[in-house]
Amino acid sequence: MKHSLLSRVAERIYWLGRYMERADNTARLINVNTNMLMDLPTPRPLGWRPLIDITGSEALFDSLYKEANERNVCRFLTSDARHPSAITCAISAARENARTVRETMPGPTFEYVNDLHLFARSELRPNLSRGKRGAALEGINSRVQRLEGFLSQNMMHDAQWQLLRLGNRIERADMTTRIIDVRSADLLPPGHDLAPFQEIQWRSVLGSLNARQSYQAAIGAPISRSLVLEFLLREPGLPRSCAYCLTAMRRHIRSLPRHEAPLRACDRTAAFFASVDLGALDRESLHRFLDECQMRLGQLHEAVTETWFRVASG
Amino acid sequence: MPVNWQQYEAAGLWDELVAPSGRARPGAGPLLRVLSRLTDEELSERAAAAELAIRTMGITFTVYDTGEPGGIDREWPFDIVPRLIRKREWDAIAQGLAQRVRALNAFIDDIYHHQRILRDGVVPAAYIEKSREFRPRCVGIDPPHGVWSHVCGTDLVRDRDGALYVLEDNLRVPSGVSYMLENRAVMKRVFPELFKDYIIHPVDDYPQRLAACLRSLAPEGNDSPQIVVLTPGIYNSAYFEHAYLAQAMGAEVVEGADLRVGADDCVYMKTIAGRVRVDVIYRRIDDLFLDPKAFRPDSVLGVPGLLRAWQAGNVALANAPGCGVADDKVIYTYVPDMVRYYLGEEPLLANVPSYRCVEKADRDYVLDNLDKLVVKPANESGGYGMLIGPQASKRQRNAFARAVRANPRKYMAQPMLSLSTAPTLAGAPGSPDRMQPRHLDLRPFILSGAETHVTMGGLTRVAMKKGSTVVNSSQGGGSKDTWIVDLPG
Repeated sequence: MKHSLLSRVAERIYWLGRYMERADNTARLINVNTNMLMDLPTPRPLGWRPLIDITGSEALFDSLYKEANERNVCRFLTSDARHPSAITCAISAARENARTVRETMPGPTFEYVNDLHLFARSELRPNLSRGKRGAALEGINSRVQRLEGFLSQNMMHDAQWQLLRLGNRIERADMTTRIIDVRSADLLPPGHDLAPFQEIQWRSVLGSLNARQSYQAAIGAPISRSLVLEFLLREPGLPRSCAYCLTAMRRHIRSLPRHEAPLRACDRTAAFFASVDLGALDRESLHRFLDECQMRLGQLHEAVTETWFRVASG
Repeated sequence: MPVNWQQYEAAGLWDELVAPSGRARPGAGPLLRVLSRLTDEELSERAAAAELAIRTMGITFTVYDTGEPGGIDREWPFDIVPRLIRKREWDAIAQGLAQRVRALNAFIDDIYHHQRILRDGVVPAAYIEKSREFRPRCVGIDPPHGVWSHVCGTDLVRDRDGALYVLEDNLRVPSGVSYMLENRAVMKRVFPELFKDYIIHPVDDYPQRLAACLRSLAPEGNDSPQIVVLTPGIYNSAYFEHAYLAQAMGAEVVEGADLRVGADDCVYMKTIAGRVRVDVIYRRIDDLFLDPKAFRPDSVLGVPGLLRAWQAGNVALANAPGCGVADDKVIYTYVPDMVRYYLGEEPLLANVPSYRCVEKADRDYVLDNLDKLVVKPANESGGYGMLIGPQASKRQRNAFARAVRANPRKYMAQPMLSLSTAPTLAGAPGSPDRMQPRHLDLRPFILSGAETHVTMGGLTRVAMKKGSTVVNSSQGGGSKDTWIVDLPG
């Protein structure tokens, strides 16, 4: 029996890829932030607020909580049912997507997603101690990795696979720009001698992306702002760099039918990412640049949606 | 404390595994021995393992009326003690089922053509004229092979003397077959050693049989027809099954919004590559929701123009619209007559003795004996809207008496059967009666296309509450694996 991928199924697979990546990145982000704060001098009033900015959910957070302290931010990002991008919600959404397309995925896929869901539901409770929270978040990471590993080794590398990966890579590129954006802002109140802590911040950026060893191996130089920016945005060999993600997206898009519009959007986005001299950007212009990057990724997402998920009737 | 079968009490009932003496029924010996060798803890461990397998495999069904929007997903309730039927007995039952469904399909085809059976006075014409399930738009249609109900789920029960009866035929969109398949998968995980003691006939060829059946319905001239399973969506209580079967067949699961009827009266699905022609639709939504242009205009589940495409022969629908005319508890009472009328054969399977409330003598008897009878509405399924006389209050019986008088066509009644039982892990750990008898039925599935196929066994549903005979999963029922076995040696 010949197979043709339904637009509705395609869309759900794409979102499955996005939600899995979102849960994974958010978990990693919280753990890296916890570690970084332990290395910074007190007081550190802005310690947890940046995570809210990363996820672009300032308005929602402020409507629900008074204070951006560790407890509130972690609850909001891990298990607050009122926050659609909280880890438990992203995983529920991934599960719902996987459930609606389970017939099209290799047999145990849903079991893995379901296991992830059950784990998140039972382990990510509000008000966890740092130790328990860290272990639970690592548990999320390892389960997402297991799922990804399983899929890459067992799923047919067909159109569904390309869409799963496309969603995954768009989410990842977006998250990488957000992590850089927030970490490039000052975490410390004025008056501190920032120099030694700048390095801690940039090291934590690398840590958020599991890229410390890769940085040392590939760059070999001490950690500096411009080198880290260059590395995370443009290193073709680093799987979490924007350049790597964009190259992969291009490949996925090209393998799908009727890909002209998304391919154009992808090429435009990649050209924009490559268009500026990163070293010359001050903090403000870097922020504007990253903002624009996220907008371009949003346009690419729109092109994908228009082309493959909203097929004209007829 | 291990199970002591001498103390197992199914007084006055027919137990499928244990004879009144406490001895095993033929074939059940090795099973009972294995179970009684397990300690209390081991039994609990096996039950927990089954529960875990069901949870991780995500075998669920959806329950409504819980206050949750869209209902909630429950794990499928499963009992670890299988139910056994000897192959020789099963072969005879399977023949009877095939015979029955042949007659039912002949009846539906007749009703939508010449209505010979009405004109010959075997079935009163008034029943059809007043049937909610008769679809005038289906008159004169010739579905492939003259078959209307391609997938039928017939419920079988045993009374206290061990006699087997057909309780009802579900001809429209019967569900449960995926649980039959998953129960076997769970059983293999939980009791692998039992599979050494028995030659258990496999059930897992069902999806391929179903696919072959559906392929045989495709419009001519297409060697590899596109088959889809049409579902109301993920919030339907049987969605798990829709997805399961589609996956196992390598077909697509589609919702109404995925399909379009083109100007050429052909059906297409929307894909990332554009539109693709669909040849066979295994529809799991009710007739009335299939096509808002033909039936209910408010249906958002269906596909506008679908009936037109079907009438033009450009797409096959399984089951065919209109087949519910035979899925009616009053029409049911005529099935033995249909077998004789259309096939010229004696029915191999018996109906439960039934009373038609529309006939005066029967109605008077029913009204006088409401406390002994089960009264069923003609067109409900899932155990809804029934009166179980012996368990009902006087007020409930009076309400039913009024309803029967007001609308006798809508009701039929049957004596209260004492459904057979099987040992079920129901007692608390540590108690001497961990294994308790629970009532059960059996739903085999019959496929009809170019050929007829009956499943090896079927889905055994069990009422988990003590004394209850309501086996529907929507009302607290569970299930057991069903083994068709060759006796060892």
